[in-house]
Amino acid sequence: MVDVIVLIKQMPDLEQVKIDSNTREPMIKNVPKTVEILSEHAVEEAVRLKEKYKGKVTAILLGNEQSSAIMKKAFAIGADEGIIIDGYEENNPANTARVLATKIKEIKHDLVILGNQSADSITGLIPGMLSALLNEPLLGNAGKIEVTGTTVKVTRILEEDNIEIESPMPSIVSISQEINEPRLPPVMQIMAAGRKPIKTEKIAPVISKAVTLVSNRAPRSERKKLVFEDMDKGIPEVVKVLKEGMK
Amino acid sequence: MNLVSVLVLAGILIAVFAFFYKLYEILWDAIKIPLKKPRMKLDLGRRIYILIRNVFLQGKLFKDPFAGIMHALMFWGFIVFGAYSIDFFYVTIFAHQLFSPGILSDIIFFTVNIFAGIVIADVIYAAVRRWGLKIKRYQGFNGFEAAFILVLIGLLMLTYFVMSVLDMQGLLAGYTFVVRSGAPHYLEPISYALASIIPKAPSSYVYYIFWSAFWIHALDFMVFLIYIPRSKHLHLFAAPFNVLFSTGTQARPLPIDFEKETRFGATDIRDFTWKDYFDFYSCTECGRCTDNCPANMTGKTLSPRDIIWDIRETVMAQGKEYRKNRDNPDEVFKTVIGDPILEKDLWSCTTCMACVEQCPVMIDHVPKIIDMRRSLVLNQGKAPKESLDLFRNIESYASPYAIDPSTRGDWAENLDVVNLSKNPDANYDVLYWVGCVASYDRRNQDIAKSVTKILKKAGVNFAILGSMEKCTGDPARRTGNEYLADMMIKQNVETFKEKKIHKVITACPHCFNSLKNEYKEYGVELEVYHHSEYINRLISDKKISVKALTSDSSEKYTYHDSCYLGRYNKIYDAPREIIGSFTENFEEMEKNKSKALCCGAGGGRLWMQETEGTMVSHKRIEMADKINASTVVTACPYCMTMLDDARKTTNREDKMNIQDLSEVIAKRLE
Repeated sequence: MVDVIVLIKQMPDLEQVKIDSNTREPMIKNVPKTVEILSEHAVEEAVRLKEKYKGKVTAILLGNEQSSAIMKKAFAIGADEGIIIDGYEENNPANTARVLATKIKEIKHDLVILGNQSADSITGLIPGMLSALLNEPLLGNAGKIEVTGTTVKVTRILEEDNIEIESPMPSIVSISQEINEPRLPPVMQIMAAGRKPIKTEKIAPVISKAVTLVSNRAPRSERKKLVFEDMDKGIPEVVKVLKEGMK
Repeated sequence: MNLVSVLVLAGILIAVFAFFYKLYEILWDAIKIPLKKPRMKLDLGRRIYILIRNVFLQGKLFKDPFAGIMHALMFWGFIVFGAYSIDFFYVTIFAHQLFSPGILSDIIFFTVNIFAGIVIADVIYAAVRRWGLKIKRYQGFNGFEAAFILVLIGLLMLTYFVMSVLDMQGLLAGYTFVVRSGAPHYLEPISYALASIIPKAPSSYVYYIFWSAFWIHALDFMVFLIYIPRSKHLHLFAAPFNVLFSTGTQARPLPIDFEKETRFGATDIRDFTWKDYFDFYSCTECGRCTDNCPANMTGKTLSPRDIIWDIRETVMAQGKEYRKNRDNPDEVFKTVIGDPILEKDLWSCTTCMACVEQCPVMIDHVPKIIDMRRSLVLNQGKAPKESLDLFRNIESYASPYAIDPSTRGDWAENLDVVNLSKNPDANYDVLYWVGCVASYDRRNQDIAKSVTKILKKAGVNFAILGSMEKCTGDPARRTGNEYLADMMIKQNVETFKEKKIHKVITACPHCFNSLKNEYKEYGVELEVYHHSEYINRLISDKKISVKALTSDSSEKYTYHDSCYLGRYNKIYDAPREIIGSFTENFEEMEKNKSKALCCGAGGGRLWMQETEGTMVSHKRIEMADKINASTVVTACPYCMTMLDDARKTTNREDKMNIQDLSEVIAKRLE
């Protein structure tokens, strides 16, 4: 039996984020939210562990009422319980970790699984911070997870070699993308997920001024946007432009 | 009644009982096992037409002319021989003829005599095809069954001739208590000719010769009757009904009600309809389907014939078990996917319908393959990895591409096109449905631009939906993800209703087929034109004029038929007429119109890797090269993508161009 808490992040769909041409800031206001890529792999891995060792998968998501579609996706993959923590809207890793740790402490678990870094903010800080706050060992960048008795063994897949590390549970495991291929949930599970209740817990906003966001701007692009329509004339022209550019 | 009459009567009763008992069993299976019902409309006119065309006139068989003629003669021979046999047994049992002498009996006995000779020739020809010429499409056929049947038919005809020749020689006078005799010469010309060549047998031998021929003939017939429903000759009974019951919607898989149903797609034999069972019963293993299958042709193991035959064998075996053990259906009915039908074969199908088009007994292979894909996708979440990405993209971006849907109409920027998502109150007469590929794919955007140019030149007041247009659901549906397809269709139908859209043009045959034939079931009636039909009409109505190709031009055009335009919607002429409007430098490729070879992209295959065997698109490009075509004209963005890619990867860039119909016309507008 392995009880797993899996942490899900929602993020704006990066394919649909446009950059404001004047301020160079990303326009994320009306962009639909989607499940962060590694979080989906994390849910898949948690469910695979459940299928292999039995136990329960609890998914935690920082979001709001609109996030239920993402939680339903986790249900469809196989999560048993889902908690949306509503009220935290910051993007500050230290605070995020605190909010999550507070909730995790309330739930009996053997493993906490999460992505090693999110696809949108890419800080990679949450696993380490959670480890410190919860006082549980961190096994990072897992490409494979195995459980024997009360011990968890993780294989980190590196470029040239694989490293195996293990620790007693409970522990925190951050995963890398290669760990699995998220499944396409069967329709019956998608339908059942739609009917499953989601717990939403309101929290008061956390205020901390440890790190503040100064600016978030895309570098100005230097694209010349030259179009060469005529194939025959175009190629020598392209070569000419490239040569000039290299000088 | 004499002893012979009694024995023959008993034998015939046993044979008839055995025949009908087996029919009862398989009909019981077809009625009791399936959990789903086919789409059935009365449609009497169409049914009578196809019954006459495809059964009595053997219409679809002539797609393979030699085998077709042989089979048609065999079929007509069987019909007259059936009438003859009824009379034969009637005489034996009741000692007088059923058909009293007259015009009817004259016709029967004359035609039987002629056909008996033809059928013997047929039997020899059929044997030569199988064991001499070893025709490829028979590969893996059941040799014993074929040989046994041919021997039965051959013997039946030979013994008929023996008795008939004896009669012509006037030697049957003593046997009139069991056979008809004294036929005039002109009624049985072949026998008469034989009788004059073959010397009369000594009277002491006649007894043995006659009785051997008589008993072999009678027993042969009885064995045949018993054997028919237990072999591939079941098609004698099943195929005419299969043609009669054909749904007329072969290309369309059954809809799924996700609120009510719990078993999705076809997993075991319970998930087919009774009409599907007739399909299985009608199969004769002739192999025309597999012979024309693009996947099979390019070295993949998919064989539509084997899929049908494997399920038939499963129905026969599990049906028998179920009749004995009706309390535990879950134990009896085991999945057909995996064993005997390989998953990878299901994914190799391009849904091109060449198999369905070729099948003489009107079996619907493709919807069954899609239904088994559905079982994998909807029940188990199993699909090739690329298809999972396809589903994710359609779900998130309403197209097969992971591209921001708000940019869908960007190709039309600066082209002065009415975009309903930016200008919702604009007036327009026709909606131009662009489709995902022409909206997002760089090469295919040229099709959208060309269509725009033509419509504008013709003064058509049209609009596009821009970012409100979403994938029609076709790639998802054909890949087995009906859930996703259903979602997309509902969203689009909502848009059609809200915008009160009625008339639609599209340059994508996949969108065309969906919108025209499949959206009806979601409650929206659209008047849909493929751009080939529409442009052809603009030319013939003189709304646009097209510059003719100069007579000294060395250009040679050919046209590649899109499956979803051709076989799915029977549009073969419009594209050819468009090309004909500006040039006569046109030649057909080896496989064209209803026999056209697929490009390899249908059935969601555009978004899958083709790793087994060789590429279908390469085979097609080679056919175009064989006739030295300089421009291959397509009418489908999928075909464009596949053939343009094949042209490049097979190093034919210098000598061959792939152009959409709209592009060739847009360039020649005057």
